[in-house]
Amino acid sequence: MSNIDRRTLVKCSLATMMAGAAFPRGAFAQPSEPILLGVSGPLTGPNAQYGTQWKQGFDLALDEILAAGGINGRKLAYNFEDSQSDPRQSVAIAQKFVSDPRIVMELGDFSSPASMAASPIYQRAGLVQFGFTNSHPDFTKGGDFMWSTSVSQADEQPLLASYAVKRLGLKKLAVLHLNTDWGRTSRDYFVNAAKEYGAEIAVTEGYIAEERDFRSTLVRVRDASPDGLILISYYSDGALIARQARQVGLKQVICAASSVYSPKFLELGGDAVEDVHVGTRYFPEDPRPEVQKFIAGFKKKYNGQEPDAFNAYAYDAMNMAAAVVKIGGTDRRAIREAFTKVRDVPSVIFGAATFDAASRRVKGAMNAELVVRKGQFALWDGKPT
Amino acid sequence: MSSWLDYTINGLIVGNVYALVAVGLALIFGVSRLINFAQGSIYLVGAYIGWVAVVQLHTPLPLTIIVVAVAAALVGLIIERFGLRPLQNSVRIAPLLATIGISFVLDQLVMLTFSPNPRALPSQLPDVRFQVGGGTIGPLDLLIAGVGITSALLLFVFLRYSKLGWAIRATAQDRDAAMQMGVDVNRVNQAVFGIAAALGGVSGMLVGMYYNQIDTAMSLQATLKGVVAEVVGGAGNVPGAVVGSLLLGLVESYGVAVFGTSYRNLFAFLLLVVVLVLRPNGLFASARQAPPEPLTGTFIAPSRPVRIPRWALLVAAGVFAILPFFPVSFYVLQTLINAWLLGMLALSLTLVAGTIGQVSLGHAALLAIGAYTSALLSLNFSVPVGLAIIGGGLMSAALGTALISPSFRLRGHYVSIATLAIGEIVSLVILNWESVTRGPIGISGIPPLSLFGYDLISATSIYWFSFSAMVVLALLQGRLLGSHLGRSFRAIRDDDIAARAYGLSLNRYKSLAFIFGGFAAGVSGGIAAHLYSYINHETFNTQQSILALTVVILGGLGNVVGAILGSVALVGLPEVFRIAAEYRILIYGIVLLLLVRFRPQGLLGTI
Repeated sequence: MSNIDRRTLVKCSLATMMAGAAFPRGAFAQPSEPILLGVSGPLTGPNAQYGTQWKQGFDLALDEILAAGGINGRKLAYNFEDSQSDPRQSVAIAQKFVSDPRIVMELGDFSSPASMAASPIYQRAGLVQFGFTNSHPDFTKGGDFMWSTSVSQADEQPLLASYAVKRLGLKKLAVLHLNTDWGRTSRDYFVNAAKEYGAEIAVTEGYIAEERDFRSTLVRVRDASPDGLILISYYSDGALIARQARQVGLKQVICAASSVYSPKFLELGGDAVEDVHVGTRYFPEDPRPEVQKFIAGFKKKYNGQEPDAFNAYAYDAMNMAAAVVKIGGTDRRAIREAFTKVRDVPSVIFGAATFDAASRRVKGAMNAELVVRKGQFALWDGKPT
Repeated sequence: MSSWLDYTINGLIVGNVYALVAVGLALIFGVSRLINFAQGSIYLVGAYIGWVAVVQLHTPLPLTIIVVAVAAALVGLIIERFGLRPLQNSVRIAPLLATIGISFVLDQLVMLTFSPNPRALPSQLPDVRFQVGGGTIGPLDLLIAGVGITSALLLFVFLRYSKLGWAIRATAQDRDAAMQMGVDVNRVNQAVFGIAAALGGVSGMLVGMYYNQIDTAMSLQATLKGVVAEVVGGAGNVPGAVVGSLLLGLVESYGVAVFGTSYRNLFAFLLLVVVLVLRPNGLFASARQAPPEPLTGTFIAPSRPVRIPRWALLVAAGVFAILPFFPVSFYVLQTLINAWLLGMLALSLTLVAGTIGQVSLGHAALLAIGAYTSALLSLNFSVPVGLAIIGGGLMSAALGTALISPSFRLRGHYVSIATLAIGEIVSLVILNWESVTRGPIGISGIPPLSLFGYDLISATSIYWFSFSAMVVLALLQGRLLGSHLGRSFRAIRDDDIAARAYGLSLNRYKSLAFIFGGFAAGVSGGIAAHLYSYINHETFNTQQSILALTVVILGGLGNVVGAILGSVALVGLPEVFRIAAEYRILIYGIVLLLLVRFRPQGLLGTI
């Protein structure tokens, strides 16, 4: 500023020299130390529940990776920094991670504003930002260091539409969606697919995440006289809508997106979610070995608790990270290259996951058509409800 | 036609739910002239105590209600004794800040004890439904209505006809006079907090049962809706709070009916602004009622500001200016960038809240206006980023002042509530005005900061850019405060009647303050937009507004250096406590409480 004199200039140049001397230190990590991943996600604040679910999925995957000998003999570990899903904090965390030479790759953040605000920092520093819940269509457009295993809504929603229209035979739909970037994108893909399959969209209603009262919305739905309700919701709001729909006497078939797939949906919804159809990416009786391993391991580690979709995303993401680090080693650029090389990683969500190098996403999510029967998710047997 | 009956019934049902919180808020406001931001947290605590009683201890409903009421009342008493009573002789705004700190602490304690996962809270009433119109209502609807209306009536009778009630009303009218008449003011406050907390706890539990769902995020929403309902009914007016809640429920329900679900809260907050502008004391205030705020400036107490010598400021500015030359990590620089951005917002707020006395709780809206304007100018019209940011500042100054101008005639807490509502309205307009703002999808690919054609992408250059922008704004504001304008602003804050008698046009000076403040906030938002490259309606939320106010009060109202110091402290503290992981917001809340307790006039004092 105004008071830069000669003395400060001398100090500055001294400082620059010190800075130069300080940086190379620590760049060479000891082989005995764990390979460190940075995780930026919410542990406090309104989205805290999702951060805790991530941790469960991560920890299970890490146990299995360690039991299988780690990454070429080294342990894999993560450093979870709480961002509260706030862009102001996620950018600071991004700077922290990129300047920490031990971090080889970053996972997260949860919400789009927090993740995409940090993207430019990761991109410029050349550290992979692996956003495994970031379905925002522009997330991987942030640069070639942005990769995602989040199921693309362009993939998922046509599957749900096919379940609702082709398999359940619904002709006139009411779509209720979270009015967020995810919900909005999903709605658009769903509506297009459903129309293509010959259904009519009677009404679409977007609601904000904090909403708890849906009675008036459901009157609008009733007046549009649909034969099915589509919920593009998370499990807590999905359960609220299902309960209130039954309470106000709507008896239509309800069909929900995979994000409600959680034991919490059954707990919060109670009787009201009976016969709700859910298009998911896996189901408990799925014979695929990766699914059986995941579910058995999860229940064992967490006292019989059933895993949900967010646990599965985190579990898959950690396994994917391990597979990538196995190929790429601990060099950040090599890790980015490894994303293009990694093939057929066993995955709960995708079966065998391989990245599409152009979109930096994984295509071909698995599909399972479930229905809630007697308070449990079960494979739909084709019988009408 | 039958649909309208259903919308009406649904509006009344949800209005019932709001009433439970609003009554507790009204009671506390009636006595202590305090908006208790911790009421939502007590509601949260009640819901979780209810969960423990129902799910773990299997208590029957009447016992559950008693357990919850007693436990919540205890929490209320603790808050009153240790959080608020020590502040009773300090600045009027200190207890307000203390309740915000208490709500942080309570919410975090609940989250740490019970995990943030939502839980089911099963209703203990028989599951029968009565057909009403096209829908049904259940026994819980009736119970909630019963509790809301009965408690309001009981309180009304209690306040009017019992001895303690008289004492409470006497205390509300004039604390000192009541004390001289032998009223034990502390006991009165205790009683009020106990009753309000018991009511808040029971309502949290009932609402949890109603939705069969409780989670730790429910507290802020409950407070927001409760405050709206309470003010619509007339702050401090207990039966008015019930009517205000029902009205709020109806307006929301009709809003959904006519425009769709995503417009719901827009109507809630529009209702609030309209009521405040037309009937600032609420719908049910009698004309004879004394103004609910004291006439002259006891809301913001004068104090002797800490004098910082000019050379110390120069040295501090110099050190921060050359900081990037030292071996500091980019993480520290980024944290300081956040502090400078918050600092600009705090400069803006300290001017309108501290210097001219319009305490705004919706200041994040100015950030959002600046950010969207700058982002859209640079994306859609290829305006160079430097100019776009200034454009954002100008738009924020113009639009912000225009939006706030209807509330210029309000005073004290009512300004805060009106600005809170305006902040929410701006956020909801951004969400719904898709053709311009791209709605929930947000704006991505915002070009990075640049100046004269050079991109500023390294942390160092962004640091210098935001630091110099803040310093320039701070110097301008310092000049402003030293000029006759600054003196006029303070005159209006300290005694608006005297200021008017002296020939100052209140509205004109308030507009000037908001124009200057809006510009600073808009510039901060604009820089943030280009820094993040992606923004949506959630980027600048209510928490930002509350944080900004905390900064301003912490630094000392109206104090330019204090605002910057406060920003560094409040951006820095949560980062310093990172080591504490899940506990850091709890620690932050406790530190905040201690600061308010021991330094209510702010670190550097009010100017």
